[in-house]
Amino acid sequence: MYGWNSRILRVNLTTGETRVEEVDPRVARDFIGGRGWAIRYLYDEMDPRVDPLAPENKLVFATGPLTATPVPTGNRYMVVTKSPLTGALSCSNSGGFFPTEMKRTGFDLFIFEGKAERPVYLWVNDDRVEIRPADHIWGRTVFETEDMLRAETDPRARVACIGPAGERRAPIAAIINEKHRAAARSGVGAVMGSKNLKAVVVRGTRRIPLAHPDELKALSDQVVEEVKQAVAAGKSTLRIYGTAYVPPVTNELGILPTYNFRTGVFAGAEAISGRALSQKYLIRAKACYGCPIACGRLTRVEDPIFGGEGEGPEYETIGALGSACGVDNLAAITKANYICNELGLDTISAGMTIACAMEMYELGLIPESDIGRPLRFGDAEAVVEMVRLAGLREGFGDLIAQGSYRLASHYGHPEFSMSAKKQEFPAYDPRGAKGMGLLYATSNIGASHMAGDTAYMEVFGVPKKVDPLSWEDKPRLVKYFEDIFTIVDAAGLCVFLSIRYLFEPTYNVEPVRISRLMEYATGAGYDEETLLKAGERVYNLERMFLVRAGFSRADDTLPPRMLYEPMPEGPAKGHVVELDRMLPEYYRLRGWDENGVPTAEKLAELGLL
Amino acid sequence: MKIRIKLLAHYQQYLPPDCSSSSYEVEVPPDVRVEEVLAGLPVPSEESVVLVNGRTPQPGQTLREGDVLCLFPAIGGG
Ligand code: SF4
Repeated sequence: MYGWNSRILRVNLTTGETRVEEVDPRVARDFIGGRGWAIRYLYDEMDPRVDPLAPENKLVFATGPLTATPVPTGNRYMVVTKSPLTGALSCSNSGGFFPTEMKRTGFDLFIFEGKAERPVYLWVNDDRVEIRPADHIWGRTVFETEDMLRAETDPRARVACIGPAGERRAPIAAIINEKHRAAARSGVGAVMGSKNLKAVVVRGTRRIPLAHPDELKALSDQVVEEVKQAVAAGKSTLRIYGTAYVPPVTNELGILPTYNFRTGVFAGAEAISGRALSQKYLIRAKACYGCPIACGRLTRVEDPIFGGEGEGPEYETIGALGSACGVDNLAAITKANYICNELGLDTISAGMTIACAMEMYELGLIPESDIGRPLRFGDAEAVVEMVRLAGLREGFGDLIAQGSYRLASHYGHPEFSMSAKKQEFPAYDPRGAKGMGLLYATSNIGASHMAGDTAYMEVFGVPKKVDPLSWEDKPRLVKYFEDIFTIVDAAGLCVFLSIRYLFEPTYNVEPVRISRLMEYATGAGYDEETLLKAGERVYNLERMFLVRAGFSRADDTLPPRMLYEPMPEGPAKGHVVELDRMLPEYYRLRGWDENGVPTAEKLAELGLL
Repeated sequence: MKIRIKLLAHYQQYLPPDCSSSSYEVEVPPDVRVEEVLAGLPVPSEESVVLVNGRTPQPGQTLREGDVLCLFPAIGGG
């Protein structure tokens, strides 16, 4: 086959055995790759009701058919497993350089099973596969681990690893590659920790076979040229400011999460913007493999308390560790970001959980003696300290490390957790972007912007602006965005470039270029229709995993604040999320019954019966 | 009547040189339409998101004293 290596590496950590398996070409085509292949294997091989931290859970690292090809931003992998945060699926995405290197080893997927008796790491050097002891690095930070493992394997190797948070099975622990890129969400780091798997180290030199290399290169070059022209003309916002340009934008719409989503308007929005970041801390822009955009930020903060050097912060991090906590100190936010990377934590869940604790502390629902200090909104030092404690699961940090739902429930008030399926919201208040509300409620991975970011149209006007405050048109939009994000994830591309350059800018953002690229890479017979169908197929199989795990309509919901407390001020003033009105229409469009279960007809149509 | 023009992200390069915040005041005729104001701005408005007081304007919408007309480039991310 082309595009895919068509080989899977299965690693049984209990027995220490590794096995190479071929992939059925029909499965390859019908489930695209990456996230799609991963769910096909998990669904077939695993009981979705297992304890996520038990050896019976499986952990999949998955690249896509366009990963490591000349297609721009072909640099993604997904970590797919059952989530200890949500009990649903994890589909956490990361770029950088690890995924490309992994695909070049000649495997598309690594499937980890069981649990090692002692800490280990996996070293894959093209065809040579070794499970090596990791006792000497257990307990080390992400930064130390990366340096030590490259020194003892190959300086050109790439590392994905967990920090202390993952080792201690924090349900908000991330898997970090190249020190600063994170498959962050849903506690994938804890699953790795539960298997005593400290790191995965890869070195790959194989070329990816392509079905129509000349056509693929020509279209890729054309896209790169378009991006380069935008950059040269000073029109690439992501290059100039990174995603950090967003806080003033969402603030203008009144949906920048502030004080644990009490409001969507933050007085300090400019102070935490991309412009401020560029003026104060930016060293230079940084790109993932094969990306002409370079939205990454290499930064340095000179400050007696918050000093450091690293990458970030991204918009989501700024929203969570900044405005949601009432913090407008960009140095502190950046420092907290560095610590999350170093200890291996998801910045979104960490920040949003601290925000939740701040609100409950101020209301007198969490005693100061439990925290060991005051925890008021706006306290920048407290945020930095809480992040550190959470990464180590020490003191009050042990509760933060479990996410806001468990923290708020511990004190008897789960309603203060701004989460869906127990996963913290990203940085868009859905009362002022109704599609995001429906997305958070229905997503297979809990609240996430990566599950089908309708903010593209509701907030950013790509490819076309829709009114974020209307709800009537959103069920269709959410379904569509979920399906096309699935395609992008499964293909192994970054959404930033893909949505803008690889889909036609009509209302439907037709998958014109991406389907061509998929066909040029694989020769498997993709066109727009079959690719969209495949995206929908993958999404439905993921949903079936949730159904079997015990999820139903009751879980497709939002915290009461979003449903009943109108936004108090700003452009979205007076709005709540009209979930009751959107949900039935969404289920109908999906071909699911009134309980959110895919119907037999739908499953038959998608070839899933 | 007076309204404010607010420019975000890299559109801030189009702010008047003496402007220290992200918005500035302009004098416009009463009942001016959004499109008419946009036509007079140095910003590529066809590639932009346009908001009036943080909300999506209707086609042909007229402006009122004190309104904030905000523009930022149409680019996803975050
Ligand atoms: S747009 Fe940003 S996140 Fe996406 S591939 Fe490029 S640098 Fe990486």
